[in-house]
Amino acid sequence: MTTAVAFDVDAPWQKARSVALRPEPFGALVYHFGNRKLSFLKSKQLVAVVEALGDHPSAAATLTACGVTDAQRGAYAKALADLARSQMIERREIP
Amino acid sequence: MPETNTAVETTPAPAPVVAEDELVEESLVEEVSIDGMCGVY
Repeated sequence: MTTAVAFDVDAPWQKARSVALRPEPFGALVYHFGNRKLSFLKSKQLVAVVEALGDHPSAAATLTACGVTDAQRGAYAKALADLARSQMIERREIP
Repeated sequence: MPETNTAVETTPAPAPVVAEDELVEESLVEEVSIDGMCGVY
């Protein structure tokens, strides 16, 4: 059973400031220094999305900018929701 | 001449197999617990 996580793909997001991302051949390792969680990002395209989140007005715009297709969009939105739940990415406040 | 009754039996075509890709879709994120590991950070 999976728990539904509210993730607003139209909101601005960014990689959390307490997170380090280390590129790996399979994608990347992400480590949160606050909650000590470690995750594998198993796609280099997802790594590009996470790194670019802060440069775009929304997660949806980031997916488009990174070339994520409509067919892939559901899986990537779920991946971002997982990362939001584990606090690897956070909502970005717009000044 | 006896009437021949040629019954043609038709069997329904098998239903197309629907690919269930969504069931084997691999997650793009895997969370790992490092609680209890010594020497990590």
